[in-house]
Amino acid sequence: MSLAAGFLGGAKSRLLPPSVPFRFFGAAAVFHVLMWLALLSEVDEAMSFRGGLTPTLAALHLLTVGTLVATSIGASVQLLPVATRRPLVAVWPIKLVFWLVIPGTLLLTGAMYAAEIELLVTAAVITTTGLFLFGALLADNLWRARSLPVVAAYGWAALVSLVLLAALGTALAIDYKTAILSDHGRIALAHLVLGGFGFMGLLALGFSHVLVPMFALAPAPSKPLSFAGFGLAALAIAIGAAGALVDAPATLTAAAVIGLLAAGLHIRLMYQTLQAGMRKRLGLSFILIRSAWAMLPITLMVGLAALHGMAGPNGATLFAFLLFWGWLLTFLVGVLQRILPFLASMHVNRPGGGPMPSMGELAEAPSLYLHAVSHGAALVLIAVAIASGSIWLMRLGCVAGLFGAVAFAWFAAGVIRRLAAAGR
Amino acid sequence: MEPTSPQGGSRTWRTADAIHIDVRGLQPPEPMIAILRLIDSGTVGDVLVAHLDREPIFLYPELDERGWNHAVADFSPSEGEVILRVTRQEQR
Repeated sequence: MSLAAGFLGGAKSRLLPPSVPFRFFGAAAVFHVLMWLALLSEVDEAMSFRGGLTPTLAALHLLTVGTLVATSIGASVQLLPVATRRPLVAVWPIKLVFWLVIPGTLLLTGAMYAAEIELLVTAAVITTTGLFLFGALLADNLWRARSLPVVAAYGWAALVSLVLLAALGTALAIDYKTAILSDHGRIALAHLVLGGFGFMGLLALGFSHVLVPMFALAPAPSKPLSFAGFGLAALAIAIGAAGALVDAPATLTAAAVIGLLAAGLHIRLMYQTLQAGMRKRLGLSFILIRSAWAMLPITLMVGLAALHGMAGPNGATLFAFLLFWGWLLTFLVGVLQRILPFLASMHVNRPGGGPMPSMGELAEAPSLYLHAVSHGAALVLIAVAIASGSIWLMRLGCVAGLFGAVAFAWFAAGVIRRLAAAGR
Repeated sequence: MEPTSPQGGSRTWRTADAIHIDVRGLQPPEPMIAILRLIDSGTVGDVLVAHLDREPIFLYPELDERGWNHAVADFSPSEGEVILRVTRQEQR
């Protein structure tokens, strides 16, 4: 073994075993496929979904908890310890998070799909326990992340959202069994705001402040403006959640307007970062990421229109679709197709060229093009279907989404397979 | 050789066998950018030694894409320093 390889071995030992983050990414890819299958199974119900224990609710949670949250956990536990210069206290707690969150999500979504109330409550408690444990690990790392103040601010706010949304989610599950809530709908809307804009949205915005400059090889965005964007986003979410809880349309309107300001500032900062970057050709992943950025203000505008009855009979459904599928999922798959080869390559020692292809080769994988085209087609078809009430367009959109999810899972499986081969 | 501060708060200096760059104290991703700018400038011979305060995991694939190997020569985050030795890959 060369001296360099010896040193590299030391470096590798400071990373988590690759099986830890990649088990979350693998599960997320499977949940992504299951989500489209669940949506496809009841397309007419999905088009005008307003809540209730149905396959669409199952699809929504396969997307949010199964795909978005599982990916966030995998990426956080790999990247934050390196960024904060302190390893995780132990590996077993994050493995326990996996064994609580992933089977818990499977049970939770299964119970939603089959309207099994007893199972729903048990599964909600298991999943929430796993999420709280992850929250504790995240808090421990954020506490030490003093050199990344913007990311830490977003992280803390996301953590508060996680605790609140998980508590509300458990209360909603219990409410199906024993009516404990005065207004299930208000709590569900607050749960949606805290989950979509709060936990997942804030993590997406916060990680962007490190990942986008990293991908574009650009300086970090202006710190004062980044903090201003964070303040606006956090304020919008706090007001939005409160407005949902007390059913105050004026408060929700104010939240959406402040959210639009936060989104506008974030997008401006990100475009300035891209313009200052050493790397101009950012490839397919940034077509998805730019599309996702465009979806964020569109989502808020559709939400405003739906709030004031100007978005048609399915305006609320369209708002939720644009939030979770348009903004969050598009952003996530854009980042993930860039970050998976990065994370995989960190674990591979190939000074003379090994079995792991380069990032460029992986980023050009045909499965990623298939996924991007299918995902884009699904978004357009389903948005038009929800707005127009066309079941055939909805079905076609779900088939396109399913095709894209299978292509993405194929890509993820390829990275994992090559990583495993390189490790042998 | 006296250290210089060519860009973004980093310091560079030359020893007998390598160019050194100290990027400690810079906020991510500035250390990575300073190192890549130095490599892309063409002024590094075959060896670059980078002094960092955290392991630059995102730098590794970038180095690999540019034809450079890396090795962590010393790792003591508690003392605030990670030393990374970057060497040009042999032509195949």
